[in-house]
Amino acid sequence: MNRSDERRERLRYVLVATLSPLAILALWAFAAARGWTSPIILPPPSAIWASFLDMAANGYSGVSLWTHVAASLARVSVAYVAGAALGVGLGLLRGRSRLIDAVLLAPAELLRPIPPLGLIPLFILWFGVGETSKVLLIFLSVLLIMMVNAQAGVRASSLDSLRAAQSMGANRWQVFRFVVLPSALPQIMTGLRVAMGTALTILVASELLGGDRGLGFLILDASSFFRTTYVFAGVAVIGLIGLATDRGLAWAGRRIVHWEGRR
Amino acid sequence: MTAAARPLPSHEPPDALLQAKADGAPPVLKFEKVGFSYDGRTIMRDVSFAVAPGDILALLGPSGCGKTTILNMVAGFLRPTAGVAVVDGREITGPGPDRGVVFQAAALFDWMTVAENIAFSLRCAGARKGERRAVAEEMAALVGLTGFEDAYPYQLSGGMRQRVGLARVLAAKPKVMLMDEPFSALDVQTRESLQEEVLRIRDRTGCTILFVTHAIDEAAFLGDRIFLLNDLKAGAYDTFDVDLPTPRASPDNRLHPSFLRLRETIYRRMRH
Ligand SMILES: Nc1ncnc2c1ncn2[C@@H]1O[C@H](COP(=O)(O)OP(=O)(O)OP(=O)(O)O)[C@@H](O)[C@H]1O
Ligand SMILES: [Mg+2]
Repeated sequence: MNRSDERRERLRYVLVATLSPLAILALWAFAAARGWTSPIILPPPSAIWASFLDMAANGYSGVSLWTHVAASLARVSVAYVAGAALGVGLGLLRGRSRLIDAVLLAPAELLRPIPPLGLIPLFILWFGVGETSKVLLIFLSVLLIMMVNAQAGVRASSLDSLRAAQSMGANRWQVFRFVVLPSALPQIMTGLRVAMGTALTILVASELLGGDRGLGFLILDASSFFRTTYVFAGVAVIGLIGLATDRGLAWAGRRIVHWEGRR
Repeated sequence: MTAAARPLPSHEPPDALLQAKADGAPPVLKFEKVGFSYDGRTIMRDVSFAVAPGDILALLGPSGCGKTTILNMVAGFLRPTAGVAVVDGREITGPGPDRGVVFQAAALFDWMTVAENIAFSLRCAGARKGERRAVAEEMAALVGLTGFEDAYPYQLSGGMRQRVGLARVLAAKPKVMLMDEPFSALDVQTRESLQEEVLRIRDRTGCTILFVTHAIDEAAFLGDRIFLLNDLKAGAYDTFDVDLPTPRASPDNRLHPSFLRLRETIYRRMRH
């Protein structure tokens, strides 16, 4: 495939990716306009947009929309960064050391199948309904996801490349730094995207616990007053944050592991 | 020696072989009654040989006879289960930069540029960036990769990747180079030009080379000596000395009567 073909291909991809949600919106608007749906159940996109503009201008429940967004983002980013760092670290260690793997095997593998939301009551008992519970819940889910992915990534290094490094004088640390870690990166980047999706899910769920800030709170509050357009607007904001972070991570992944899939 | 080939009896005592060359230089590489078993299944027993410094030893033999296993023991990736393998007078206990390995599938580091791949051994030894770059450029020039220093392996052809694999080993200035069918996946032209490259590199660096191959042609063109490994379980193999004019890298050698005769001898021996 030559350059201009490739460009046309990409352009078409972007075009279709943009048109498909617009088509869904159009269909939705059409259905609402024809009165096929009740505004309480499925309000028209225009009403949702109006609610969004209202929140953007006047805030919701006494604080600005951006305060809600910032509160959510703060929780998720603290938990995500800390969970990813520790999870990757532990996963790499488990992949490299059988002793550490043995130590962590039972605790990690027992914890992993438990749906994080099932832990909410326990977390409330231990840490209350404040920030600690919310952040720890997200932190734990991210950590477990990243640990699995990093450990699997360690196994991705080929025997030949490990041997090549050793026969060129690399010590244990250098083998890790220059071969094991880069080989694990593709899997780690994939894990980061999965973990981000999960983190946002848990975020919203944890904000349903209580508190008066955050997008999860906003959605719950609006729904209990049947302000459906606000529920939709809040959901849309979360969706857009998810989309943006995922695209961002995918883009970063392509740059960081530029060699992946190109052999 | 008039004939190109000098098949030795299969059960020649080790002592005769340990005398690697007539001029008596001490061997750089020596196997003494080496045996190896994979999980209790013995694949070789009492294998002894020696290689003189600067020699190219071609290992020829049927698939599964143990060529890669020999190479892996020299590289230090595997330990003999019996006997000793010695490099430079010291028993081999693990991998090290004195023995460089060129892999069949190149095994380059895809996340590093050509220059970074080539200078990897220097990086491990703590060399400064400027020095690493200089050596990388020098070695890239040596294998004909000038201008590709900043490319990534996935941007190279198969032949170019093997050249990087070669340059990367050369940069470590090994005493012994181990090559396991490094050119078998390449087209004829590329393969032949790389074979000539190997001979030129040997002439320039004085490196000792162990070269595993399936191809009689390759063994006869490259090797100073060829081992036809026909029964390693009994420590038995045939030895052929190659007698071709220098410079060995000359493509004319592929048509030299001595080359053709040797090829025929080995072929008949394999089919006997
Ligand atoms: N990791 C391993 N575990 C068990 N057996 C092995 C292993 N590697 C090789 N073998 C066995 O040892 C024997 C020699 O293998 P080796 O790879 O050295 O052969 P080879 O001469 O290099 O063959 P080829 O020309 O096909 O590469 C074979 O019979 C093979 O089945
Ligand atoms: Mg082999």
